Amino acid sequence: MPVSIYASLGRQEGLLREMEVVANNLANSSTVGYKSDRAVFAEFIVSGGRDAPSVSMGGLGGHAFDLTQSNLAFTGSDFDLALQGEGYFLVQTEAGERLTRAGHLQISSEGQLIDSNGNPVLDAGGGTIDIPPTVEHLSIGSDGSISVDGILSGEIGIVLPNGQILRDSNTYFSAPDGFEPAEGATVIQGALEQSNVSPVLEVSRMIEVQRAYEAGQALLEREDQRLSQVISAVRQR
Amino acid sequence: MKALQIAATGMAAQQTRVDVISNNIANMSTTAYRPRVAQFSDLAYQQVLRPGTITSQTGTVVPAGIQIGTGVRPSTVSVSLTQGSLRATGGELDLGIDGIGYLEVSLPSGESAYTRDGKLNRSPEGELVTMDGFPLADGIVIPEDANGITISRDGEVVAFFDDQTDGQPIGTISLVRFVNEKGLEAIGDNMFRETEASGDANQLVAGTEGVGDIRQGFIEDSGVDVVKEISDLIEAQRGYELNSKVITASDEMLAATTRLR
Repeated sequence: MPVSIYASLGRQEGLLREMEVVANNLANSSTVGYKSDRAVFAEFIVSGGRDAPSVSMGGLGGHAFDLTQSNLAFTGSDFDLALQGEGYFLVQTEAGERLTRAGHLQISSEGQLIDSNGNPVLDAGGGTIDIPPTVEHLSIGSDGSISVDGILSGEIGIVLPNGQILRDSNTYFSAPDGFEPAEGATVIQGALEQSNVSPVLEVSRMIEVQRAYEAGQALLEREDQRLSQVISAVRQR
Repeated sequence: MKALQIAATGMAAQQTRVDVISNNIANMSTTAYRPRVAQFSDLAYQQVLRPGTITSQTGTVVPAGIQIGTGVRPSTVSVSLTQGSLRATGGELDLGIDGIGYLEVSLPSGESAYTRDGKLNRSPEGELVTMDGFPLADGIVIPEDANGITISRDGEVVAFFDDQTDGQPIGTISLVRFVNEKGLEAIGDNMFRETEASGDANQLVAGTEGVGDIRQGFIEDSGVDVVKEISDLIEAQRGYELNSKVITASDEMLAATTRLR
């Protein structure tokens, strides 16, 4: 069995996927609160059958987010919040509670604090946050305390997941193992955390992926030539 | 190959951003214009290998799985609520709003619209109207023989006549505020309409409940910060180019595949 073709195919398949990951990162290079993705390749062993050695193959094994904090863009709006340090805002969606770093907030017509997708932002106790319609000045302290015209009226929820987080659309993350209040994060009012995609890194990965893919294709081509040579040699006998 | 479509969503998003920026720059001298900002969010993720998939009988699971994103979409184009600076014009019928309120205007259809553009005029009937000739909802008519009017900070309009030393109050201009200003629907001509998202218009006396003061003889300048817009424009252009590079690279990978045989 010409295993080299199959070993190479697994990698080619993975490289195509990695290209999609790079494309998605670059497409989201202006998405507030976006965390870039990394494709992770893993080795797996395939048994070569009886009397044959087993073969090591490489393929796309998983992926990891790069959760490093990105730079903050100052907007000056009272309703733009960024987090410094580890932590997430808590949002109530139809599918359940979700975590996000995107703090471009608004007030709904019912006076609730909502995010840019219209989902209510939750306070430290897990309830929605109501802002009185007469608010003149909304101020959010570095610990998340909300004061409306100088009167303390709640605390915005900042949490840390207990375990791994999964990615959802709209820059949301879900925490299947639950979450707990975050201690280390500070809130910065009037700023938004930009996407942490580094264009330089992504473009260099893109070139790497493309060249690796072309190298893989060249290998397949050589293997194809080798096999046809074998076949014609066998025929001539 | 999905990378092509993903990069296309990225190019479309940056295109939207350029559209929004160009509209801001075009309105850099529009009275009381508030710059818009495009915000983006990522699209749904394709679960190639779901995290938590069981990998053995002892209950080990895939820790991170493979989730591949499908691109980006514009989520909102929101109005930034920074007030433009008030410029002194000295005009008797120029009103600047120092605060977050809006003037209510009656459209010909009978509906109300809301504006922060306080460059008012007199109609042939003496009514206070906007630049487009739509009357203020407060229905203030300036008497023909009045030789001057003053408008106080709380919106009281007083007319002065040649034969009287004291002015006569002829009405009050009120201001309107919304729970969610960003939810207003822009209808052009510096006007907005209320929507489900903005909440109902709340009519208030100027200077109360944070709605702001009326300043006679001032006009609110456009809130567009051209330096910021240009730096955003550069960023959007480079973002567009980066996404187009992905398309080129994906294309070359496809070409490598087709060259095989």
